[in-house]
Amino acid sequence: MSSPLLALSQLTKSFGGARALRGVNFDLQAGEVHALLGENGAGKSTLIKIVTGAHQPDGGTITVAGQIVAGLTPAAAHALGIACIYQQPALFPDLTVAENIALRLEAGSALRRVDWPARRARAHDLLARIGASIAPTAEVRTLSMPEQQLVEIACALGAGARIVIMDEPTASLTHQEQHLLYAVVRDLRAHGVGVIYISHRLEEIFMLADRVTVLRDGQSVGTHPVDTLTEAALIRLMVGREMTQIYPPAESVPGDTLLTVCDVGCAASGVHHVSFDVRAGEIFGLGGLVGAGRTELARVLFGLTPADSGEITLAGRRLSLGSPQEAIAHGLAYVPEDRRRHGVVLDLPIAHNVTMAIHRPLFPTTWLRFGAERSLALEFIRDLAVKCAGPAAPVGSLSGGNQQKVALARWLATKPRLLILDEPTQGVDVGAKGEIHRLIRRLAKEGLAVILISSDLPEVLGMSDRIGVMAGGTLTAILPGHSDAHTVMAAALGTPEKGAA
Amino acid sequence: MNTAKRDWQALLTRHEMLLLYVLIAEWLFFYFAGTTTNRRGVVVGFGTLDRQFDILRHSCEIGLLALALTPVIITAGIDLSVGSLLGLCAILFGQLWHDGGLPIPVAAGLTLALGALAGGLNAALITALRLPPLIVTLGTYSLFRGLAEAITHGSITYTDFPETFLFVGQERWLGLPTQAWIFFVVALAVWLLVHRTTFGRTFRTIGLAPEGARYAGLPVARRLALVYVLAGLIAAIAAIIYTARLGQAKADAGTGYELFAITAVVLGGISIFGGTGSVHGTLLGVAAIAVLKNGLACLPVVMGMNAAEEMSGLLTGALLLLALTASVLPKILSHVRSRPHAPAP
Amino acid sequence: MKTYFRELSVAAALGVVLLALAVFAPAFYQPQPLLSLLTREAPTLVVACGMALVIISRQIDISVGSQFSVCSVCAGLLAARGWPIYLVLPASAACGAFLGAINGALVAGLRLPSIVVTLATMVTLRQGLNLVRQGEFVNLPDGIQWLGLGQTAGQWLIVLTALGLLVAFGLALRHLAAGRLVYAIGSDAEAARLAGLRPQLSTFLVFVLLGALTGLAALLNVAQSPQVQPLSGSGLELKVIAAVVVGGVAISGGRGNLWGAFAGLLLLACVAPALTHLHVEAYWEKAIQGAIILLAVVADGLRSRKGGHR
Repeated sequence: MSSPLLALSQLTKSFGGARALRGVNFDLQAGEVHALLGENGAGKSTLIKIVTGAHQPDGGTITVAGQIVAGLTPAAAHALGIACIYQQPALFPDLTVAENIALRLEAGSALRRVDWPARRARAHDLLARIGASIAPTAEVRTLSMPEQQLVEIACALGAGARIVIMDEPTASLTHQEQHLLYAVVRDLRAHGVGVIYISHRLEEIFMLADRVTVLRDGQSVGTHPVDTLTEAALIRLMVGREMTQIYPPAESVPGDTLLTVCDVGCAASGVHHVSFDVRAGEIFGLGGLVGAGRTELARVLFGLTPADSGEITLAGRRLSLGSPQEAIAHGLAYVPEDRRRHGVVLDLPIAHNVTMAIHRPLFPTTWLRFGAERSLALEFIRDLAVKCAGPAAPVGSLSGGNQQKVALARWLATKPRLLILDEPTQGVDVGAKGEIHRLIRRLAKEGLAVILISSDLPEVLGMSDRIGVMAGGTLTAILPGHSDAHTVMAAALGTPEKGAA
Repeated sequence: MNTAKRDWQALLTRHEMLLLYVLIAEWLFFYFAGTTTNRRGVVVGFGTLDRQFDILRHSCEIGLLALALTPVIITAGIDLSVGSLLGLCAILFGQLWHDGGLPIPVAAGLTLALGALAGGLNAALITALRLPPLIVTLGTYSLFRGLAEAITHGSITYTDFPETFLFVGQERWLGLPTQAWIFFVVALAVWLLVHRTTFGRTFRTIGLAPEGARYAGLPVARRLALVYVLAGLIAAIAAIIYTARLGQAKADAGTGYELFAITAVVLGGISIFGGTGSVHGTLLGVAAIAVLKNGLACLPVVMGMNAAEEMSGLLTGALLLLALTASVLPKILSHVRSRPHAPAP
Repeated sequence: MKTYFRELSVAAALGVVLLALAVFAPAFYQPQPLLSLLTREAPTLVVACGMALVIISRQIDISVGSQFSVCSVCAGLLAARGWPIYLVLPASAACGAFLGAINGALVAGLRLPSIVVTLATMVTLRQGLNLVRQGEFVNLPDGIQWLGLGQTAGQWLIVLTALGLLVAFGLALRHLAAGRLVYAIGSDAEAARLAGLRPQLSTFLVFVLLGALTGLAALLNVAQSPQVQPLSGSGLELKVIAAVVVGGVAISGGRGNLWGAFAGLLLLACVAPALTHLHVEAYWEKAIQGAIILLAVVADGLRSRKGGHR
């Protein structure tokens, strides 16, 4: 075998205390489609960012075409012929497709003349090569997300990239578009390009890839030719870890049905035909892969993007949730996924964050009562064991886990009946993770209904009384809490195993 | 990152203190350098009580506009139209009283309502249509001034206001210039609103994290509307005080005031990005500019050059640039330090 | 056509006004007053070209009025010392470019918000100028007014210079790579960085360019009278920004062009003569201009709400 196009050896990378990569080995040959597979958080995105020069590795070497590369920057990666198609395209929304492609590909003096016909012709050719029917003169802001992705692919194609990374390229494509993309990938391979293909769709991997590398907990656990594997074997490789964490046992017995969701949909956020119910004191886990529509469903339930079809009933009363204010008034609470942007306000003190959703009840005259606020904040700091300098400390000065506790405290202060937790332990260290798990259990025991959204499969399995699995914007399965990882993963990947519930 | 953030915040909380030192130093300097005894043995210049009252009297209108802008800028917005609205309200007030024959208190009350209504126009465009405040208020900046000019045909000046009304702008009450009392009441009200009520809390949250405020169930659009309506109301109060001080209402009243007010607010430590700052910071900013302006006028050197106005303007601008640069310095330094490699070419 | 919908609608509004004038007040079309109107607006047009660049790159500059005044006085003083016009011209532009570079360095280098930076430089420059000059007028020697030509020839030269700059910059913005860069950084600075472009450098240069154009414009204004007024630029910033925004340049960057800005400028400039000729009191000018700005902004707001996703 000739020297590989790209070889990574023993790559490590830490962010703060969290070790994202702990020794990854990977190699890519010319004219190969190499699939990279792993659960959410296994380290795939970190790996991509290192290869594209966005992050610097802490240790290990990167070899491109036999040359060891150090201090890779985005520009250097570009020059080496490495291109990445991100899920969220980085395009100029106000400019046309032709111009977007040209800005990436053209070099030369800033005072050179722009050859518009040539730009359009090149864009037309590149788009035709990938079979996309997008007008080169269309403004990018008018394109849909998959169309923008195709523009990105056209850019990579035009740049003559030797190494193309595709991060879940088909996640938002229609069936027809998907097949066009497969043809593009095969075409790239035929031209000697190495493709790193990241996808959660197993059928895609079996159809396209030559080899598969599985990442688990920041380590590569093996590289195999695709034809030596079965789907079941692949799933086993992905989830095969031992339960490293002990989850607190269930103590509560679920009571009466509290929330009933019947055929709910919201066209704007891609959620459709979702039906399930949650009982008081129950922890209802929502599993699925990133982009399956779990956060979107939570936003619908909380009135951030109101539902346009179906019925939501809480304790027998039909709700029409048009805004978060209404949802809060009915006893709903939502701890969002993006903690730093939505969950807490980093520059404000803990006390302000804790009382943010209870202005009306705590300050009925609209006058702030600092004493009451402080004692409430202190109560939560003690109760949730928030490590901080005091209630006046800005939330930005806390660690991730403690920030999350403050976000939780804000919603517990509203005394909700239903609590939706979206990735409550993401970016949280192990100790705080355990505390949050025990807290969730305690809340359920006190009669709170909890919807737990998590991409951490063991967490969903270990914490939930029942598990709903989402894929493609709808609920595809409701499984009992003691289901095994294979079953849930199979449902999330859209390939239910025979005999699964 | 976190430490840098904390340093940055510490700096901001210290900002008002820093400004206070500057103000005191400024005041002492002018007290000693700007007070003289004239030939007849009378003390004149900065150190006299009359002069201090003058400073107060002349800072009321810009001070009020700065107070109007404080909540607006805390929500990361801006209102360029307050100076023009002052002019429009002055004209409307004069017209209501002179042509409409209304008694002064009724005319004043109606003017306040119209000011709030004009602020409501800004509010509606900004919140309902989600247009950028900068450009909306640029439009109303032109519109309000233009209406004032159209109403007066560019020439009518309303004068001959009754003595009782001029008392507000030209006399003293309980030892202080009368309008200063109004200014203090408004300042206290805005201070309470911003620092002691849930409204102020919400303004700050919107300025720091508009999306985060929505996730917390805060009524973002309603609170944003409130700050612009309030700005209109306060501009109307400033208009009435202005009219009382000069004894006349003209269409060009308050021209350029918006920029002095914004300068005072930013100098007072309110980040144009929203979320930070305080009403007392704004008051200190207003005071620092006013003392600078009047103090310079009392310096013999400057009096010789006859350039107090210009010099104070120059120093104010320089001070603002300095404050701005100082505010980003910690961020820039930490950015440079945390970057392992030179920026990509 | 769809691409230029916004510009065409402003042009259509301008056309309606011009048509109304043709029907109801043909006197408007007398050549001499019309030429005078265009000459008066020529400096504003030149500044508007630069301002459009700055706004397309998602920045703003409210110090142009002060820059304009400073450049006018500098040009006047140099001319009074006997400098010939062909040296005064580049000197005035260089003076503007230097002032623009200060703004550019503060905005691009220190990443301060342009609105506050230029507010500060606006106040500083204006008051600095007042301090140095004490409001004194500069008397110009012969050979400067009307650029040393007769009045009509001078007026033509001024108008044609402004139009020439408009066309040059309008075409450059569309057809030079550098022009497209301005759109790119205004559309998405982060995407520009990822694409290997240098947004900070471009931002700096755009401010320098606006300064240089303001310097040129100042000279075109100086050449219209026998004296230089030290306050000739006050209020210019808002007039220029209004013209550019009415012309369809989005304050959020990345959209618009100089043709639209030109139409916007003419539309706003026509308000005053139209009022006079239609026997409406001229005092309505500012109010109507304000209403036009608001109308344009509201139309943009409604369009972007209806239009595609971002």
